[in-house]
Amino acid sequence: MPLVVVGAVLAAGPSLYNNLAFLTTLTIYILLAQGVNIVYGFTGYLPFGFVGFFGAGIYGSSLAIVYWHVGGYAAIGLGALTSVVAAVIVSPLLRLSGAYFALATLAASQALYFIVANESWTFGESGMSLPLLFSPTALYVLSVVAVVLTLVVVVYVRDSHFGLSLRAIRSDAVSAAMAGVNVVRTRTIAWLVAAALAGVAGALWALMTSAFYAETPFDLTISVYAIVFALFGGVRTVIGPVVGAVVLYSLYQYIGISNPQYFELIYGLLIVVLVLFLPGGLTSLVGGRGDRPAWWNRVVRRRSAPEVTP
Amino acid sequence: MASGLAASALSASLSAGASGNVISVGTLYANTGSFATSSMPEYAGLQFWVKQVNAAGGMYVAPLKKKEHVKLVSYNDQSDPATATTLYNQLLTQNKVNVFVADFGSVLTAPAVTIAKDQKHLLFDITGSGTSFFSSGPNPYVALTSLPVSAVWPKPVVGLLSSLKIKRVAILYCQNDFDQAQAAAIKGFLSSKHLQPVYFQGVPTTQTDYSTIVQAIKGSNPQAVLEFGYPNNDIAFLNQLKSTNTHFNFVLTPFPGQLPTLFRQDVGAKALGWQYTYAVPPIMRVNKVNLGLGLNSFLAKFAPGKQSTVNFLNVAGYNAGLAIQAAFAHATSMSQLGIRAGLTAVSGKLQTLEGTFALNKAGAQVGELLPVAQMVPHGAGFQFKIVYPATNAQKAFVNGTPKYPAPKA
Amino acid sequence: MRLFEYALVSGVLYGLFYGFIGVGLNLLFGVMRLVNLAHGDLVVWGGYLAYSLTTSAHVNPLWAIPLSIPLALVGGLILYLITVPRLRRAEDTETSSLILFFGVSQVLVALATMKYGTNQVTLPELGNPVMIFGQPYAASLVASAALAVPALALFYYYLYRTRLGLATRAVMANEEEAVASGVRVRRVATSAFVIGIAFAAAAGPLATFMLGGINPTTGGGLTITAFTIIIIGSLGNPLGTAAGGILYGLASSLTQAYAAPWTGMVPYALLLAVVLLRPSGLFGRRVRVA
Repeated sequence: MPLVVVGAVLAAGPSLYNNLAFLTTLTIYILLAQGVNIVYGFTGYLPFGFVGFFGAGIYGSSLAIVYWHVGGYAAIGLGALTSVVAAVIVSPLLRLSGAYFALATLAASQALYFIVANESWTFGESGMSLPLLFSPTALYVLSVVAVVLTLVVVVYVRDSHFGLSLRAIRSDAVSAAMAGVNVVRTRTIAWLVAAALAGVAGALWALMTSAFYAETPFDLTISVYAIVFALFGGVRTVIGPVVGAVVLYSLYQYIGISNPQYFELIYGLLIVVLVLFLPGGLTSLVGGRGDRPAWWNRVVRRRSAPEVTP
Repeated sequence: MASGLAASALSASLSAGASGNVISVGTLYANTGSFATSSMPEYAGLQFWVKQVNAAGGMYVAPLKKKEHVKLVSYNDQSDPATATTLYNQLLTQNKVNVFVADFGSVLTAPAVTIAKDQKHLLFDITGSGTSFFSSGPNPYVALTSLPVSAVWPKPVVGLLSSLKIKRVAILYCQNDFDQAQAAAIKGFLSSKHLQPVYFQGVPTTQTDYSTIVQAIKGSNPQAVLEFGYPNNDIAFLNQLKSTNTHFNFVLTPFPGQLPTLFRQDVGAKALGWQYTYAVPPIMRVNKVNLGLGLNSFLAKFAPGKQSTVNFLNVAGYNAGLAIQAAFAHATSMSQLGIRAGLTAVSGKLQTLEGTFALNKAGAQVGELLPVAQMVPHGAGFQFKIVYPATNAQKAFVNGTPKYPAPKA
Repeated sequence: MRLFEYALVSGVLYGLFYGFIGVGLNLLFGVMRLVNLAHGDLVVWGGYLAYSLTTSAHVNPLWAIPLSIPLALVGGLILYLITVPRLRRAEDTETSSLILFFGVSQVLVALATMKYGTNQVTLPELGNPVMIFGQPYAASLVASAALAVPALALFYYYLYRTRLGLATRAVMANEEEAVASGVRVRRVATSAFVIGIAFAAAAGPLATFMLGGINPTTGGGLTITAFTIIIIGSLGNPLGTAAGGILYGLASSLTQAYAAPWTGMVPYALLLAVVLLRPSGLFGRRVRVA
């Protein structure tokens, strides 16, 4: 089971490299990349403003902690809830497609930023300081648990009837609708699930940094990293976004520490090369462009997901 | 697995400096992004301190009863708080530095404050003067070394305004904690005198188009205009005044005093004439010190022959080093609280080139208040004249009288 | 009332400049479906060229406009050859281009940081303020608006009065039909791409004035503004681009006058309103959305 492998590797993380902030941030990026995977990989919508949900999660959980004095677990739940509410509000954007959808979600995320950052009544103008609710170790354990649960969700999305519908919509929405798939509902559910993931990621981030400054949670580069990580590893797979986040974010940390002045240059070139020469992501190297690496099917004999023929 | 590979590469490329006969100081700087303009000069100041201390054979470490060399471990956070979080943690968990120093400004300091509290590790905060860091009660793990908290800054500005009998004040600020705190403080001071600002507006920190805003301010017919922004906001605002020949009798912005070279280039000396700013060092020249270099010798040694390029942030970086030096010289033990006890011991007594170093229990700087300076035209350029002190002790530094209303250029 | 009048005039002047900013992007996005997230960074590089010119040769910064065009044509062609043929074969060109150009944007920002540092740079003002209805406007603002008009006219001429423009519009309307009727799509695409890049760079010196200076990270916000403008004004429509710019300029200056804290919201709110209410833009004939 990939879940066990990922869980075990992450659990062993601190003994390999004892910078828990780095490892926790890494797991947060895994959650975000999986969110992108669900929205983009399985439904074909590129959520360029995905950071809006992350920001909403950070904002919601920070507010809850500072003004309602809720505990850590409740803050995570409320963070996810805030993101889901945001996702419901912007769900009319699902009517759009392609670059229009991408740009409109971007605009929505930045609009949310300006609302939060703008006024004293939003508590975003001057920032918030949060009390520490978890030790770094506890928080890391929590975020590994979140990753494992997320992988369960992604496996479900991939293998279930629901996932089948998503992919049918992705390849041809009209035919899917004619075959009896409720297009709007199915898409919306995927959208909300992804938003909830980003909200959990945001809440974990808030708990880790214990500070809220509106500039940070809505920074578009977070969206871009999540998208690039997911694509680099390979979308429409369970393991791809995890591999992408682990490899690229470790590389990010490594270049950033060892060669900071060339950081942006190297990273930018890497993205260009990735899009041009490895559009299917790392996992496509191993197993073609299928939903799952070919070697996986050979090694583990289990029911493969039926192919979609719209 | 990949993280493991990267991790081993990382630990191979870095050696921890805590052990042996060296005191390691960790810090972050931003050589790209929105804070680079301020972060880099601050970092240069800190590096200069390390060089100075080591050239003198190290700094005295009281618990060890001998001098130790200082090693600076630094990473580039690219102005990104997320990256800064992992890098601060890197300094503590991987490099095991003795103490650490925050990057410029509240946004990049915030993650360090959290980590300092969480891991009970002493943080020297150079300029992260956000009030929220110092409002949650006593905290032995943060020490603000260079500036009072931002809400305290504008106190002498209000004094100056009332000494000039100015009643109609327009306030434009950027919506971040640094600028918002100053604007709110002035508004509060004014209302204690039963005055309301004639214009009081926040704009996003990303704002650089001030065309119509300037006209709106003009329409409110103010006697004084205070604009609180980051350097890029101040530059754009002042250029808008210049390019439309808009004249106000009193204009104050925070950054010309901190980055005069940049403002001379980007706004021009002529346009800055008769305007006001905070008189940070080296405008205010403190030469009577009991630790480190006085301001004049700092200028001479930091940039020989190019003293006019030295800015406040260079001084602030150096001053953070002096605070570290004082802390170790009076530390009661090598533990974090022992080092902090060293700071408590010197608080109120330490005189550096930034003035009196004094901390309260929350770690906020309560000394080092900033007077107000006016930029008085002088030949083709201008000179800073300190026109209003923040404390009685600073009266000695006053070397000009405010010229109000400002003559038209 | 004076303030309202100022906001109107200033909005129109700024708007024309923003129309200029939109032209280059309109060619890349409207014609070629390439989501050029590096658009703003190209504009910023045009601004840096003007900065280099004024600091080294002490000439009027506007000379950078004619000078930037040949440079941008060459640079654009190189970028085209490296990226576009592969992009057009991609499964999802729009999405792939968005990510690719984000990478290009990062590279341009990094190079600008290395060459020019991170400090804000400004250009010397062009002259005394110009009085319009008795109120002062920066000379650079008036000059920018004045230069934007011929640029928009040139864009109109290219699309509607040249054979290449006719072919370009044919490709925009329907690429397959254009191929069937003998249009050489490749040539059309190359010229649209290269000309688009040149327009972006040419707008740079003006942007340096209009944005109160530039630094390596200025481009990002500019890109979003440009997208807003061309979507408001409908893709591939030069008059629409001008109108979109003016609408944006007016919204921005009126917000400055009466609701300053919300100026940052303007481009995003406008973009959302347009894509949700009228996705084809204000001047579009057809809907190209799902």
